[in-house]
Amino acid sequence: MEGGGASDVEREEDDAATDLLRDRFRLSTISIAQAEAKSNGMEISQPIVACIADLAFKYTEQLAKDLELFAQHAGRKSVNMEDVILSAHRNEHLATTLRSFCNDLKAKEPQSDRKRKKATRKEDKATTSVVHVPDL
Amino acid sequence: MENTFDPDLIHAIFKLIWSRRALERERNEGAEALDCEVGAGTSKKNRRASANANALKLSCELLRVFVTEAVQRAATIAEAEGVGKIEATHLERILPQLLLDF
Repeated sequence: MEGGGASDVEREEDDAATDLLRDRFRLSTISIAQAEAKSNGMEISQPIVACIADLAFKYTEQLAKDLELFAQHAGRKSVNMEDVILSAHRNEHLATTLRSFCNDLKAKEPQSDRKRKKATRKEDKATTSVVHVPDL
Repeated sequence: MENTFDPDLIHAIFKLIWSRRALERERNEGAEALDCEVGAGTSKKNRRASANANALKLSCELLRVFVTEAVQRAATIAEAEGVGKIEATHLERILPQLLLDF
């Protein structure tokens, strides 16, 4: 079956992509965790860092699913900041922190800039442009 | 500059999860229409999500907070025990509450 073969190849590519992303994610987590431990005057053992990285990756996967559902429920195709804040609504303190971070981001991006967003998308860096998932 | 995640990396992970879910959905919907080509189905029923640049930055912040919270809480336990290195037992102690909080 051609269809079956194609999906197998797809899955293999998919797995390879996942592994690559997981590794990159792990590296970022390790540097964040080690910097944080250092600022607390602590050492942190390698297996624990790796464990936290895996936890964070699982959390990211869950977050992606949540955000997609929240955006869908709001009748949008694109995930926005409200969805991210909503995903943290169980923890009031966390939601407040995210809300203030969100306001900071909004403050950095004045209204006039946001309107020109589409026109200057190519010149502008990722800071102002809306990123879309390309159709495959 | 403080350490944080790269929004592009997080976006790539999100895209991967979303496309995987879109594929699953297609597979479930088109279970009886097996002979229809894979490519034909994808373009029309494409309900794949996308993300706003600021939303990605906010997600990065959320994940950064997750990691720093894990380390800080474990560090507190280690400190209370008078140890200078965070070990598995410390993470085990804080894990249940951490997972409830996120």
